[in-house]
Amino acid sequence: MTNTESLENVVLELRRGVIVLAALSQLGTEQYGYSLLKQLADLGLEVDQGTLYPLLRRLEAQGLLESVWKLEEARPRRYYVISAEGKKILPKMKKEWAGIVSVMDKMLA
Amino acid sequence: MKLIDRYVAEVGKRLALVKGRADIEKELRSTLEDMLEDRAEKAGRPRDEALEIELLKEYGAPDKVAATYNPHPYLIGPRMFPMFIMILKIVIAAVALGLTIATSIQVMKQSPMTIVELLKAIGEWLLNIVSASIGAFGNIALAFAIIERFAPTSEFKVDDDEKWDPASLMKEPEPDDVRPWEPILAIVFIFIALSIFNFNPQWISIYILNDGQWSSFPIFTGAFFRLLPLMNIAWVAEIILNGMLLRSSRWNVSTRLTSIGIKCVQIAILYLLITGPAFLAITPESLQATEIFDADSAQTLGSMVQTGIRIALGLGIFGTLVEIVKAGYKLVTQKPAAAA
Repeated sequence: MTNTESLENVVLELRRGVIVLAALSQLGTEQYGYSLLKQLADLGLEVDQGTLYPLLRRLEAQGLLESVWKLEEARPRRYYVISAEGKKILPKMKKEWAGIVSVMDKMLA
Repeated sequence: MKLIDRYVAEVGKRLALVKGRADIEKELRSTLEDMLEDRAEKAGRPRDEALEIELLKEYGAPDKVAATYNPHPYLIGPRMFPMFIMILKIVIAAVALGLTIATSIQVMKQSPMTIVELLKAIGEWLLNIVSASIGAFGNIALAFAIIERFAPTSEFKVDDDEKWDPASLMKEPEPDDVRPWEPILAIVFIFIALSIFNFNPQWISIYILNDGQWSSFPIFTGAFFRLLPLMNIAWVAEIILNGMLLRSSRWNVSTRLTSIGIKCVQIAILYLLITGPAFLAITPESLQATEIFDADSAQTLGSMVQTGIRIALGLGIFGTLVEIVKAGYKLVTQKPAAAA
Protein backbone atom coordinates (compact mmCIF):
# COMPACT_ATOMS: atom_id res chain seq x y z
CA MET A 1 0.00 0.00 0.00
CA THR A 2 1.41 3.37 -1.01
CA ASN A 3 1.54 6.39 1.29
CA THR A 4 -1.18 8.08 -0.78
CA GLU A 5 -3.45 5.06 -0.40
CA SER A 6 -2.81 4.92 3.34
CA LEU A 7 -3.64 8.61 3.64
CA GLU A 8 -6.82 8.15 1.60
CA ASN A 9 -7.90 5.28 3.85
CA VAL A 10 -7.27 7.28 7.02
CA VAL A 11 -9.19 10.27 5.64
CA LEU A 12 -12.03 7.94 4.63
CA GLU A 13 -12.16 6.47 8.14
CA LEU A 14 -12.18 9.96 9.68
CA ARG A 15 -15.05 11.06 7.44
CA ARG A 16 -16.97 7.84 8.04
CA GLY A 17 -16.82 8.50 11.76
CA VAL A 18 -18.57 11.85 11.48
CA ILE A 19 -21.27 10.98 8.93
CA VAL A 20 -23.78 9.79 11.56
CA LEU A 21 -23.48 13.06 13.47
CA ALA A 22 -23.54 15.09 10.25
CA ALA A 23 -26.65 13.34 8.94
CA LEU A 24 -28.57 13.55 12.24
CA SER A 25 -27.67 17.23 12.62
CA GLN A 26 -29.11 18.05 9.17
CA LEU A 27 -32.31 16.05 9.50
CA GLY A 28 -34.12 18.39 11.89
CA THR A 29 -36.31 19.08 8.87
CA GLU A 30 -37.24 16.22 6.58
CA GLN A 31 -35.13 15.58 3.52
CA TYR A 32 -34.83 12.87 0.92
CA GLY A 33 -31.51 11.10 0.45
CA TYR A 34 -30.21 13.01 -2.54
CA SER A 35 -31.11 16.42 -1.11
CA LEU A 36 -29.26 15.49 2.10
CA LEU A 37 -26.28 14.32 0.05
CA LYS A 38 -26.19 17.66 -1.79
CA GLN A 39 -26.65 19.65 1.41
CA LEU A 40 -23.75 17.86 3.09
CA ALA A 41 -21.62 18.46 -0.02
CA ASP A 42 -22.59 22.15 -0.07
CA LEU A 43 -21.49 22.39 3.56
CA GLY A 44 -18.15 20.81 2.64
CA LEU A 45 -18.68 17.14 3.55
CA GLU A 46 -18.58 14.97 0.46
CA VAL A 47 -20.23 11.64 1.25
CA ASP A 48 -20.39 8.69 -1.08
CA GLN A 49 -23.99 7.72 -1.88
CA GLY A 50 -23.06 4.09 -1.28
CA THR A 51 -22.26 5.06 2.29
CA LEU A 52 -25.12 7.46 2.97
CA TYR A 53 -28.16 5.43 1.90
CA PRO A 54 -27.35 2.25 3.84
CA LEU A 55 -26.46 4.48 6.81
CA LEU A 56 -29.87 6.18 6.68
CA ARG A 57 -31.56 2.76 6.67
CA ARG A 58 -29.44 1.64 9.61
CA LEU A 59 -30.22 4.78 11.62
CA GLU A 60 -33.90 4.24 10.91
CA ALA A 61 -33.64 0.61 12.04
CA GLN A 62 -32.00 1.87 15.26
CA GLY A 63 -34.92 4.24 15.81
CA LEU A 64 -32.88 7.43 15.40
CA LEU A 65 -34.62 8.43 12.17
CA GLU A 66 -38.11 8.12 10.75
CA SER A 67 -38.99 7.97 7.08
CA VAL A 68 -42.00 8.37 4.85
CA TRP A 69 -42.55 8.00 1.11
CA LYS A 70 -43.97 11.05 -0.70
CA LEU A 71 -44.93 11.49 -4.34
CA GLU A 72 -43.32 14.60 -5.79
CA GLU A 73 -42.89 15.63 -9.43
CA ALA A 74 -44.37 12.25 -10.42
CA ARG A 75 -41.52 10.59 -8.57
CA PRO A 76 -41.70 8.84 -5.18
CA ARG A 77 -39.11 10.07 -2.70
CA ARG A 78 -38.29 8.76 0.70
CA TYR A 79 -38.07 11.55 3.24
CA TYR A 80 -36.06 11.14 6.41
CA VAL A 81 -36.37 13.14 9.63
CA ILE A 82 -34.80 12.78 13.06
CA SER A 83 -36.98 10.82 15.51
CA ALA A 84 -37.73 11.64 19.16
CA GLU A 85 -35.04 9.12 20.17
CA GLY A 86 -32.60 10.73 17.74
CA LYS A 87 -33.34 14.16 19.21
CA LYS A 88 -32.46 12.82 22.66
CA ILE A 89 -29.16 11.40 21.49
CA LEU A 90 -28.05 14.27 19.22
CA PRO A 91 -27.03 16.72 22.02
CA LYS A 92 -24.96 13.97 23.66
CA MET A 93 -23.25 13.23 20.35
CA LYS A 94 -22.55 16.94 19.83
CA LYS A 95 -21.01 17.15 23.31
CA GLU A 96 -18.88 14.09 22.60
CA TRP A 97 -17.77 15.61 19.30
CA ALA A 98 -16.88 18.91 20.97
CA GLY A 99 -14.78 16.96 23.49
CA ILE A 100 -12.95 15.09 20.73
CA VAL A 101 -12.27 18.32 18.82
CA SER A 102 -11.01 20.04 21.96
CA VAL A 103 -8.66 17.16 22.80
CA MET A 104 -7.37 16.88 19.25
CA ASP A 105 -6.89 20.65 19.02
CA LYS A 106 -4.67 20.46 22.10
CA MET A 107 -2.76 17.53 20.70
CA LEU A 108 -2.25 19.03 17.29
CA ALA A 109 -1.46 22.55 18.47
CA MET B 1 -36.77 -0.26 -20.44
CA LYS B 2 -34.43 2.52 -19.46
CA LEU B 3 -30.84 1.86 -18.41
CA ILE B 4 -31.64 3.08 -14.91
CA ASP B 5 -34.43 0.51 -14.59
CA ARG B 6 -32.10 -2.24 -15.77
CA TYR B 7 -29.40 -1.08 -13.38
CA VAL B 8 -31.85 -1.08 -10.45
CA ALA B 9 -33.02 -4.56 -11.46
CA GLU B 10 -29.38 -5.74 -11.52
CA VAL B 11 -28.78 -4.38 -8.02
CA GLY B 12 -32.09 -5.93 -6.89
CA LYS B 13 -31.01 -9.36 -8.13
CA ARG B 14 -28.04 -9.18 -5.78
CA LEU B 15 -30.28 -8.25 -2.85
CA ALA B 16 -32.53 -11.30 -3.17
CA LEU B 17 -32.06 -12.28 0.48
CA VAL B 18 -31.95 -8.77 1.94
CA LYS B 19 -34.92 -7.51 3.90
CA GLY B 20 -36.61 -4.44 2.34
CA ARG B 21 -35.30 -5.17 -1.16
CA ALA B 22 -38.28 -3.49 -2.92
CA ASP B 23 -37.82 -0.41 -0.75
CA ILE B 24 -34.11 -0.21 -1.56
CA GLU B 25 -34.83 -0.54 -5.29
CA LYS B 26 -37.47 2.19 -5.16
CA GLU B 27 -35.16 4.58 -3.31
CA LEU B 28 -32.24 3.78 -5.64
CA ARG B 29 -34.37 4.49 -8.72
CA SER B 30 -35.63 7.75 -7.23
CA THR B 31 -32.08 8.84 -6.34
CA LEU B 32 -30.72 8.02 -9.79
CA GLU B 33 -33.58 9.96 -11.41
CA ASP B 34 -32.77 12.95 -9.18
CA MET B 35 -29.08 12.73 -9.97
CA LEU B 36 -29.72 12.41 -13.70
CA GLU B 37 -32.00 15.44 -13.70
CA ASP B 38 -29.51 17.46 -11.68
CA ARG B 39 -26.64 16.48 -13.93
CA ALA B 40 -28.58 17.30 -17.12
CA GLU B 41 -29.52 20.75 -15.77
CA LYS B 42 -25.99 21.60 -14.67
CA ALA B 43 -24.39 20.40 -17.92
CA GLY B 44 -27.14 21.78 -20.15
CA ARG B 45 -27.43 18.40 -21.79
CA PRO B 46 -30.47 16.26 -22.62
CA ARG B 47 -31.36 13.31 -20.36
CA ASP B 48 -30.16 10.79 -22.90
CA GLU B 49 -28.57 7.38 -22.75
CA ALA B 50 -25.04 8.78 -22.83
CA LEU B 51 -25.72 10.78 -19.68
CA GLU B 52 -27.30 7.74 -18.02
CA ILE B 53 -24.20 5.66 -18.80
CA GLU B 54 -21.97 8.38 -17.36
CA LEU B 55 -24.07 8.53 -14.20
CA LEU B 56 -24.29 4.77 -13.70
CA LYS B 57 -20.56 4.38 -14.29
CA GLU B 58 -19.96 6.89 -11.53
CA TYR B 59 -22.53 5.34 -9.18
CA GLY B 60 -20.70 2.04 -9.29
CA ALA B 61 -21.02 -1.59 -10.33
CA PRO B 62 -24.24 -3.32 -9.16
CA ASP B 63 -22.17 -5.76 -7.09
CA LYS B 64 -20.52 -2.93 -5.19
CA VAL B 65 -23.78 -1.04 -4.63
CA ALA B 66 -25.62 -4.17 -3.47
CA ALA B 67 -22.78 -5.03 -1.09
CA THR B 68 -23.32 -1.76 0.82
CA TYR B 69 -26.84 -2.93 1.74
CA ASN B 70 -25.84 -6.46 2.64
CA PRO B 71 -26.24 -6.87 6.40
CA HIS B 72 -24.01 -9.99 6.45
CA PRO B 73 -20.86 -9.24 4.49
CA TYR B 74 -18.98 -11.87 6.51
CA LEU B 75 -19.37 -15.62 6.42
CA ILE B 76 -18.10 -15.66 9.99
CA GLY B 77 -18.21 -12.24 11.64
CA PRO B 78 -15.91 -10.67 14.24
CA ARG B 79 -17.94 -11.90 17.25
CA MET B 80 -17.58 -15.56 16.20
CA PHE B 81 -14.18 -15.46 14.52
CA PRO B 82 -11.95 -15.92 17.63
CA MET B 83 -13.95 -19.00 18.67
CA PHE B 84 -13.87 -20.31 15.09
CA ILE B 85 -10.07 -20.06 14.99
CA MET B 86 -9.73 -21.62 18.45
CA ILE B 87 -11.91 -24.64 17.60
CA LEU B 88 -10.24 -24.99 14.19
CA LYS B 89 -6.78 -25.18 15.81
CA ILE B 90 -7.94 -27.75 18.37
CA VAL B 91 -9.68 -29.85 15.76
CA ILE B 92 -6.82 -29.81 13.23
CA ALA B 93 -4.42 -30.79 16.03
CA ALA B 94 -6.80 -33.59 17.11
CA VAL B 95 -7.18 -34.83 13.54
CA ALA B 96 -3.40 -34.88 13.06
CA LEU B 97 -2.89 -36.65 16.39
CA GLY B 98 -5.64 -39.21 15.73
CA LEU B 99 -4.36 -40.02 12.26
CA THR B 100 -0.78 -40.24 13.50
CA ILE B 101 -1.76 -42.73 16.21
CA ALA B 102 -3.90 -44.72 13.79
CA THR B 103 -1.15 -44.83 11.14
CA SER B 104 1.42 -45.86 13.75
CA ILE B 105 -0.82 -48.78 14.78
CA GLN B 106 -1.26 -49.69 11.12
CA VAL B 107 2.51 -49.62 10.52
CA MET B 108 3.20 -51.73 13.62
CA LYS B 109 0.56 -54.20 12.56
CA GLN B 110 2.08 -54.64 9.12
CA SER B 111 5.71 -54.72 10.24
CA PRO B 112 8.20 -55.73 9.08
CA MET B 113 7.69 -53.38 6.12
CA THR B 114 9.83 -52.64 3.12
CA ILE B 115 11.07 -49.07 2.60
CA VAL B 116 8.57 -48.63 -0.23
CA GLU B 117 5.68 -49.78 1.97
CA LEU B 118 6.81 -47.47 4.76
CA LEU B 119 7.08 -44.49 2.39
CA LYS B 120 3.64 -45.35 1.02
CA ALA B 121 2.21 -45.45 4.56
CA ILE B 122 3.80 -42.05 5.34
CA GLY B 123 2.43 -40.61 2.09
CA GLU B 124 -1.05 -41.90 2.88
CA TRP B 125 -0.75 -40.50 6.40
CA LEU B 126 0.07 -37.03 5.03
CA LEU B 127 -2.71 -37.21 2.44
CA ASN B 128 -5.18 -38.33 5.11
CA ILE B 129 -4.19 -35.41 7.35
CA VAL B 130 -4.64 -32.93 4.48
CA SER B 131 -7.99 -34.33 3.34
CA ALA B 132 -9.33 -34.73 6.89
CA SER B 133 -8.21 -31.19 7.78
CA ILE B 134 -9.91 -29.77 4.69
CA GLY B 135 -13.07 -31.71 5.57
CA ALA B 136 -12.90 -30.52 9.17
CA PHE B 137 -12.36 -26.92 8.04
CA GLY B 138 -15.40 -27.13 5.76
CA ASN B 139 -17.64 -28.64 8.44
CA ILE B 140 -16.59 -26.15 11.10
CA ALA B 141 -16.90 -23.17 8.74
CA LEU B 142 -20.39 -24.35 7.76
CA ALA B 143 -21.45 -24.80 11.39
CA PHE B 144 -20.14 -21.36 12.34
CA ALA B 145 -21.71 -19.69 9.30
CA ILE B 146 -25.07 -21.12 10.40
CA ILE B 147 -24.54 -19.94 13.99
CA GLU B 148 -23.45 -16.50 12.70
CA ARG B 149 -26.79 -16.04 10.98
CA PHE B 150 -29.16 -17.64 13.43
CA ALA B 151 -27.65 -17.35 16.93
CA PRO B 152 -29.08 -14.50 19.01
CA THR B 153 -26.85 -11.43 19.13
CA SER B 154 -26.89 -11.64 22.95
CA GLU B 155 -24.84 -14.86 22.78
CA PHE B 156 -21.12 -14.93 21.97
CA LYS B 157 -20.73 -11.28 22.91
CA VAL B 158 -17.27 -10.01 23.58
CA ASP B 159 -16.83 -9.20 27.30
CA ASP B 160 -18.22 -5.83 28.18
CA ASP B 161 -15.58 -3.78 30.05
CA GLU B 162 -18.19 -1.80 31.98
CA LYS B 163 -19.92 -4.90 33.30
CA TRP B 164 -16.78 -6.90 34.03
CA ASP B 165 -15.68 -6.69 37.63
CA PRO B 166 -12.12 -7.77 38.55
CA ALA B 167 -13.54 -8.79 41.97
CA SER B 168 -15.23 -11.70 40.17
CA LEU B 169 -11.76 -13.28 39.94
CA MET B 170 -11.79 -13.71 43.74
CA LYS B 171 -14.95 -15.78 43.92
CA GLU B 172 -14.82 -19.54 44.48
CA PRO B 173 -15.54 -21.74 41.45
CA GLU B 174 -19.25 -22.45 41.09
CA PRO B 175 -20.88 -25.72 40.01
CA ASP B 176 -21.89 -24.14 36.70
CA ASP B 177 -18.30 -23.18 35.90
CA VAL B 178 -16.53 -25.20 33.23
CA ARG B 179 -12.80 -25.94 33.41
CA PRO B 180 -11.21 -25.19 30.01
CA TRP B 181 -9.60 -28.62 29.56
CA GLU B 182 -12.96 -30.40 29.70
CA PRO B 183 -14.43 -29.00 26.45
CA ILE B 184 -11.00 -29.10 24.76
CA LEU B 185 -10.66 -32.79 25.59
CA ALA B 186 -14.23 -33.44 24.44
CA ILE B 187 -13.62 -31.68 21.10
CA VAL B 188 -10.41 -33.65 20.56
CA PHE B 189 -12.05 -37.02 21.21
CA ILE B 190 -15.16 -36.24 19.19
CA PHE B 191 -13.00 -35.30 16.22
CA ILE B 192 -10.95 -38.43 16.53
CA ALA B 193 -14.23 -40.40 16.51
CA LEU B 194 -15.58 -38.35 13.58
CA SER B 195 -12.39 -38.91 11.57
CA ILE B 196 -12.18 -42.62 12.24
CA PHE B 197 -15.86 -43.49 11.79
CA ASN B 198 -16.20 -41.39 8.62
CA PHE B 199 -12.85 -41.73 6.89
CA ASN B 200 -11.31 -44.96 8.19
CA PRO B 201 -14.09 -47.23 9.47
CA GLN B 202 -11.93 -50.26 8.62
CA TRP B 203 -9.76 -49.38 11.63
CA ILE B 204 -12.63 -50.25 13.98
CA SER B 205 -11.79 -53.92 13.99
CA ILE B 206 -10.67 -56.64 16.35
CA TYR B 207 -7.03 -57.48 15.72
CA ILE B 208 -5.82 -61.00 16.39
CA LEU B 209 -2.23 -62.28 16.38
CA ASN B 210 -2.33 -65.91 15.29
CA ASP B 211 0.86 -67.86 14.57
CA GLY B 212 2.84 -64.63 14.17
CA GLN B 213 0.31 -63.23 11.63
CA TRP B 214 -2.04 -60.35 12.37
CA SER B 215 -5.60 -60.73 11.19
CA SER B 216 -8.60 -58.50 11.82
CA PHE B 217 -12.34 -58.51 11.46
CA PRO B 218 -14.69 -55.52 11.67
CA ILE B 219 -16.65 -54.83 14.85
CA PHE B 220 -19.66 -53.12 13.29
CA THR B 221 -22.08 -54.18 10.54
CA GLY B 222 -23.66 -52.05 7.81
CA ALA B 223 -26.69 -51.54 10.10
CA PHE B 224 -24.47 -49.50 12.41
CA PHE B 225 -23.04 -47.34 9.63
CA ARG B 226 -26.52 -46.57 8.27
CA LEU B 227 -26.99 -44.47 11.43
CA LEU B 228 -23.68 -42.61 10.88
CA PRO B 229 -25.33 -39.43 9.43
CA LEU B 230 -27.40 -39.11 12.61
CA MET B 231 -24.31 -39.72 14.75
CA ASN B 232 -22.41 -37.08 12.76
CA ILE B 233 -25.14 -34.53 13.50
CA ALA B 234 -24.90 -35.33 17.23
CA TRP B 235 -21.08 -35.12 17.14
CA VAL B 236 -20.97 -31.81 15.25
CA ALA B 237 -23.57 -30.43 17.68
CA GLU B 238 -21.39 -31.64 20.58
CA ILE B 239 -18.38 -29.82 19.10
CA ILE B 240 -20.39 -26.61 18.81
CA LEU B 241 -21.68 -27.05 22.39
CA ASN B 242 -18.14 -27.55 23.71
CA GLY B 243 -16.98 -24.51 21.74
CA MET B 244 -19.73 -22.48 23.41
CA LEU B 245 -18.68 -23.84 26.83
CA LEU B 246 -15.04 -23.05 26.13
CA ARG B 247 -15.95 -19.47 25.30
CA SER B 248 -18.43 -18.79 28.09
CA SER B 249 -16.58 -20.94 30.70
CA ARG B 250 -19.88 -21.77 32.38
CA TRP B 251 -23.16 -23.49 31.75
CA ASN B 252 -26.00 -21.14 30.82
CA VAL B 253 -29.53 -21.51 29.46
CA SER B 254 -28.41 -21.84 25.81
CA THR B 255 -25.75 -24.47 26.50
CA ARG B 256 -28.04 -26.51 28.77
CA LEU B 257 -30.83 -26.47 26.17
CA THR B 258 -28.36 -27.45 23.43
CA SER B 259 -27.06 -30.25 25.65
CA ILE B 260 -30.60 -31.56 26.28
CA GLY B 261 -31.29 -31.46 22.53
CA ILE B 262 -28.12 -33.47 21.79
CA LYS B 263 -28.98 -36.03 24.48
CA CYS B 264 -32.41 -36.51 22.87
CA VAL B 265 -30.67 -37.27 19.54
CA GLN B 266 -28.34 -39.69 21.36
CA ILE B 267 -31.34 -41.51 22.87
CA ALA B 268 -32.88 -41.77 19.38
CA ILE B 269 -29.63 -43.30 18.07
CA LEU B 270 -29.42 -45.79 20.95
CA TYR B 271 -33.08 -46.73 20.47
CA LEU B 272 -32.57 -47.32 16.73
CA LEU B 273 -29.50 -49.45 17.46
CA ILE B 274 -31.36 -51.60 19.99
CA THR B 275 -34.48 -52.11 17.90
CA GLY B 276 -32.78 -52.40 14.49
CA PRO B 277 -30.93 -55.33 12.95
CA ALA B 278 -27.70 -56.61 14.56
CA PHE B 279 -25.13 -53.82 14.43
CA LEU B 280 -22.23 -55.78 15.96
CA ALA B 281 -20.35 -58.12 13.66
CA ILE B 282 -19.21 -60.19 16.65
CA THR B 283 -21.44 -63.18 16.04
CA PRO B 284 -20.94 -66.90 16.80
CA GLU B 285 -20.04 -67.39 13.11
CA SER B 286 -17.42 -64.61 13.01
CA LEU B 287 -15.86 -65.83 16.26
CA GLN B 288 -15.64 -69.36 14.96
CA ALA B 289 -14.03 -68.07 11.76
CA THR B 290 -11.12 -66.70 13.83
CA GLU B 291 -10.18 -70.32 14.60
CA ILE B 292 -9.51 -69.29 18.20
CA PHE B 293 -12.81 -70.53 19.54
CA ASP B 294 -14.46 -73.87 19.07
CA ALA B 295 -18.10 -74.01 17.93
CA ASP B 296 -19.62 -74.14 21.44
CA SER B 297 -17.48 -71.36 22.87
CA ALA B 298 -18.10 -69.17 19.79
CA GLN B 299 -21.86 -69.77 20.11
CA THR B 300 -21.91 -68.89 23.81
CA LEU B 301 -19.62 -65.86 23.51
CA GLY B 302 -21.33 -64.52 20.37
CA SER B 303 -24.79 -64.75 21.95
CA MET B 304 -23.54 -63.12 25.14
CA VAL B 305 -22.02 -60.21 23.18
CA GLN B 306 -25.21 -59.66 21.13
CA THR B 307 -27.44 -59.71 24.22
CA GLY B 308 -24.97 -57.85 26.43
CA ILE B 309 -24.56 -54.93 24.03
CA ARG B 310 -28.33 -54.41 23.84
CA ILE B 311 -28.55 -54.43 27.66
CA ALA B 312 -25.66 -51.94 27.77
CA LEU B 313 -27.39 -49.65 25.26
CA GLY B 314 -30.62 -49.91 27.29
CA LEU B 315 -28.67 -48.80 30.35
CA GLY B 316 -27.18 -46.04 28.17
CA ILE B 317 -30.68 -44.77 27.37
CA PHE B 318 -31.57 -44.83 31.06
CA GLY B 319 -28.36 -42.98 31.97
CA THR B 320 -28.95 -40.35 29.26
CA LEU B 321 -32.52 -39.84 30.51
CA VAL B 322 -31.15 -39.28 34.02
CA GLU B 323 -28.70 -36.73 32.60
CA ILE B 324 -31.55 -34.93 30.79
CA VAL B 325 -33.51 -34.73 34.05
CA LYS B 326 -30.41 -33.44 35.87
CA ALA B 327 -29.77 -30.84 33.14
CA GLY B 328 -33.44 -29.81 33.27
CA TYR B 329 -33.23 -29.45 37.06
CA LYS B 330 -30.09 -27.33 36.80
CA LEU B 331 -31.75 -25.27 34.10
CA VAL B 332 -34.57 -24.40 36.49
CA THR B 333 -32.43 -23.88 39.57
CA GLN B 334 -29.29 -22.29 38.10
CA LYS B 335 -28.26 -18.87 39.35
CA PRO B 336 -28.31 -16.00 36.87
CA ALA B 337 -24.90 -15.48 35.23
CA ALA B 338 -22.64 -13.21 37.23
CA ALA B 339 -21.00 -10.31 35.47
CA ALA B 340 -18.11 -11.90 33.69
